[in-house]
Amino acid sequence: MSEFIVRVEDLRKSFLLSHSGAAGLKTAILWWRKRQIERLEVLKGISFDLHKGETIAIVGKNGAGKSTLLSLLARVYKPTGGTIDVRGRIAPLLELGAGFHPDLTGIENVTFNGVILGLTRKEVLARLPDIIAFSELEKHIDSPVRTYSSGMLARLGFAVAVHVDAEILLVDEVLAVGDNAFQEKCFERIAEFRSQGGSILFVSHNADDILRVADRCLWLQQGLIHADGDPKEIMARYESDEAAPKEAL
Amino acid sequence: MLAELKELWRFRELLFTMVERELRIRYKNSFLGFFWSLMNPLITVLVMTVVFKNFLNNGTENLSAYMLAAYLPFLFFQACVLDSAQSILTALPMVKKIYFPREILPLAMILSNFVHLVLALLVFFAYLIFYVWLRHPQDFPIPATAALLPIVLLIHLALSTGMALIISALNTFYEDVKHIVTVVMYLLFFACPIMYFSENVAYSFKDSSWKYVLYHLNPIATLCTSYRKILLDPQPVISNNVRLDPLPLDWGLLGFAAFFSIGILFIGYAVFNKLKWRFVERP
Repeated sequence: MSEFIVRVEDLRKSFLLSHSGAAGLKTAILWWRKRQIERLEVLKGISFDLHKGETIAIVGKNGAGKSTLLSLLARVYKPTGGTIDVRGRIAPLLELGAGFHPDLTGIENVTFNGVILGLTRKEVLARLPDIIAFSELEKHIDSPVRTYSSGMLARLGFAVAVHVDAEILLVDEVLAVGDNAFQEKCFERIAEFRSQGGSILFVSHNADDILRVADRCLWLQQGLIHADGDPKEIMARYESDEAAPKEAL
Repeated sequence: MLAELKELWRFRELLFTMVERELRIRYKNSFLGFFWSLMNPLITVLVMTVVFKNFLNNGTENLSAYMLAAYLPFLFFQACVLDSAQSILTALPMVKKIYFPREILPLAMILSNFVHLVLALLVFFAYLIFYVWLRHPQDFPIPATAALLPIVLLIHLALSTGMALIISALNTFYEDVKHIVTVVMYLLFFACPIMYFSENVAYSFKDSSWKYVLYHLNPIATLCTSYRKILLDPQPVISNNVRLDPLPLDWGLLGFAAFFSIGILFIGYAVFNKLKWRFVERP
């Protein structure tokens, strides 16, 4: 296969959980001797390559470490161990419109979001017409985003994220937003992105989405890769595994 | 630290965009927005002037100008520290999703407040020119020493940045820090020569000069006095019918303040960099 664009090797991440919840200075001072600190290992050594033009779906139960893995790739967390080698620009589409400020207009927020995703202001301005056209929000783009519905916010966020020319998209749960027609547009845009050689790593619970776009599927279980391979085969195993305990009842 | 600065430089565009965003939010109602935020210092100084002139027998001329020259910079320091204390917590949803150098959040607060200070100082100069100069055309109210303003501003900026970095990082883990800082800021107002003069301090400590030096271990006190000395002509301080001759700008104390401020800046950045990866993992 072609060369990798992301190489993850023996990636580990653990969090410290403090049971006293040392969120206050008082608890920190009073209980610093007695506080119980527990180490929670979320990822216990994960290795895989993401190749150019490849789309990988990540499945697994809640707490399997899917979101932690995406956050590590987005450089929000620092790994406890292992390495991540990224050879391209990553755009996280983790939660659409995460950086929107309610009092600013659509355009001002698009500029800000584009810059935070790694564009210069000039580049954002050059793409502004495309972004606005894609979001279909021409009429509202000069109003403060507090007047937007959640669907409109999601559309605007998606429109920015797919226009930043990233080589790798990280998607958490939201592969398509809005009504059916807009969702279709999102899928078209994703197909276009892939045909241009873009790579996608996405977390989803939706089997239809996974079978529709993924080339490969990673099944995470308790911080380890349980299975890695063809989406059809893995989804069949995953779904029967999910269903198994229910049959036992 | 060098690698961190390089990374920050790579993200400079984001910093400027964030400063612009802060200013936009702040002055959203355009022109009036700026004047509303000037109302607080102007009214405070007006009230202090009335109280000191009438009830506390302060006979110093142009008292309000001298108070404003120290109060505007003090407010800058206060706003920097208090705004940036919350900056990371407010942006936490964003911090948890997207990577960018976290120091951009407090830095954007500092730079937007700095822009505000510069605008406020321009209004201050306008006041001097229109109110003082037009009434006394024989002497121009802005002395040549005002050319030293950039140096004092840079020292002040270094100190505010260092403190803001430390406090924003600590407040992210312990929200009590913000409340402590609020109280300290209130006390600091009295510990700085804003409604009185460094000449008053020197006069009350005239028998033990080490107390005068001790008082000026607080670099903000030195900075407040320095703004006064360079922006306005030296003039005698008259309180309770005692006339105190003006002291010159103390370069030794200003040098100490500069040294102290740059030290705080380095320590602040080091502390921030040590803690910044743990912001997202706070309990």
